[in-house]
Amino acid sequence: MSNMNALSADEMERFQKLSNTYEPDVQGPLVSRKEPTQSVALEYANADHALSAKTNALAITHPEYRIMKGDGNCGWRAVAFGYFETLFALRDPMRIQREITRFKSLEMLLKQVGHSEHLYEIFTEATEDLFTQTISAIQGGAGDESFLVDAFNNEFASSAVITHFRLLTSSWMRLNPHRYQAFLSLPLEQYCASQIDPLKTEIDEVGLQALVDGVIEGAGFGVEILYLDRSEGDAVTPHQLSPHSPSGATIRLLYRPGHYDLLYPADPNVNMEPIVNYQYAMTSDYSNWNEGPLGFDVDSSLMAIPNLMADPSFAMGTPMSPMPSVSPTPTSPFRMSPQQEMYQSPMQTHAPIPSIPVSSPPPPIPPPSAAPPPMTTLPSRSSDGPQIRLNPLVMKPNLSRSLPVTTPFKNSPYNQAHFQNSDFEPIHWEPHDRR
Amino acid sequence: MDYSMEDTQNSAPDALEASKLSTTAQRSDTQSVTKRLQAELMQLMLSPSPGISAFPDADGNLLSWTATIIGPTETPYEGLTLKLSFAFPNNYPYSPPTVLFKTPIYHPNFDFSGRICLDILKDKWSAVYNVQSVLLSLQSLLGEPNNASPLNAQAAELWDSDQEEFKRHVLARHRDLDEE
Repeated sequence: MSNMNALSADEMERFQKLSNTYEPDVQGPLVSRKEPTQSVALEYANADHALSAKTNALAITHPEYRIMKGDGNCGWRAVAFGYFETLFALRDPMRIQREITRFKSLEMLLKQVGHSEHLYEIFTEATEDLFTQTISAIQGGAGDESFLVDAFNNEFASSAVITHFRLLTSSWMRLNPHRYQAFLSLPLEQYCASQIDPLKTEIDEVGLQALVDGVIEGAGFGVEILYLDRSEGDAVTPHQLSPHSPSGATIRLLYRPGHYDLLYPADPNVNMEPIVNYQYAMTSDYSNWNEGPLGFDVDSSLMAIPNLMADPSFAMGTPMSPMPSVSPTPTSPFRMSPQQEMYQSPMQTHAPIPSIPVSSPPPPIPPPSAAPPPMTTLPSRSSDGPQIRLNPLVMKPNLSRSLPVTTPFKNSPYNQAHFQNSDFEPIHWEPHDRR
Repeated sequence: MDYSMEDTQNSAPDALEASKLSTTAQRSDTQSVTKRLQAELMQLMLSPSPGISAFPDADGNLLSWTATIIGPTETPYEGLTLKLSFAFPNNYPYSPPTVLFKTPIYHPNFDFSGRICLDILKDKWSAVYNVQSVLLSLQSLLGEPNNASPLNAQAAELWDSDQEEFKRHVLARHRDLDEE
């Protein structure tokens, strides 16, 4: 205090002004466009080993992410944006109509805890406006979600939607105190008033769970957090906030202490295409196959497996029904199904590369029945689509970004597991003696 | 001005911060602000709370209001008419209004320039608070000051030690404002 008294009133006033106007210098838009996750990996390239290993692995399993401005609303904004983005990706106006109806009924929560309509109507209207925009974007054939990015970068609209989600969450908590009070260090009422309702207070785990329970889960969307921290392991730690996501759509959050961003898994299109088994067989001149990055000629007659057509599952024509065109893939790459184990980050495979199971995704090949007719001509490509199963990392239309990294390619230079092998020598590409 | 008396973290209003925010947030958002303020005004007129009132200033600018609190009974402020100004930022209700006592007031949580130390007008502001809820909070603060974070330390001390003397200070400081 004696120091402060040494300053003149003018100086004090100047400092007070500076202090009042101080805002942490947070750059960038409220919601960014999609960015390559590789840039997160670069950020941590020289950091702790756990962080660099995890971010490298993350860049492969989730090649894109979206930055949320760290202004105290990032977690709320990430979930709200992810919610609308997922809804848009489903491209189902009827479903959005159902969500509009559901949100109308959620207003009951606000009323029940005593909020008056004249105060919250600007928030509910902003959300409804965004639903309407989403429907028109779908009907107008919008190519991507940039209208949502623009909408969320309008600070007023963004604040209104986030406030709406905050109020729904705190009302939900007040009406279901038994579910949350045990996790709180202060009375629930006080917690809501100080940690949920005020704009620019960061979401914590209890708040996030309540947001998912009260607002998001009713839409049938899953929410998954991937924790990036220094804990043991070579991959980010996933955590499912909702036990099931019937529609298969999942909002994925990347959590770094104090901050949330959105993550996008390897291939959003993987489920829009028939599932085909790459390891099983390549039957014919599959023209979608991108030969460019392969280190060998794709000679379809050589790669065809003679007994393939004897397999009843192929004779059926469409062995797998295509999944609905959901942008976020339904199964998390971290779920411990045997099928997924082998897709996990190649960074995890330093030592036991050879032990990767060679087959697991496809239905087992039935024992060859009597003598199948020798295949003399290549089977023509059926109009039902290619009959090969690629693993999700291979299916990327642009192979250069998610290169084949599993069994068939374990010796490939694209397999990043080699980066940890001191004896590894990359193949040098000579443009002139190719083929 | 006696700055050394202040809790520098909690003292001053956020007018500057709010106006800075508004420059980035502008667009045609004034429409939303106006709509919200009209709704609040309507509510205040349809279901007034005893002892408080508020109305936009006569200049036609809906972003500045004058409010009145009548000192509650059984408090040192009993029967006094206290006038306040509300200045709403362009991004209201996402930032709090700047509220000042225009009537000189002696109180542990208000300073001599009328500034107010109240968490809901700062970091605990939420967009469902409104003119009415702010006035009700201030009204209750008149009878129950928050002496844990005083703006006027002398008043806080006196409130605890000598209510009679406290009331003398209140009356000595009070001066009715002319009707504008």
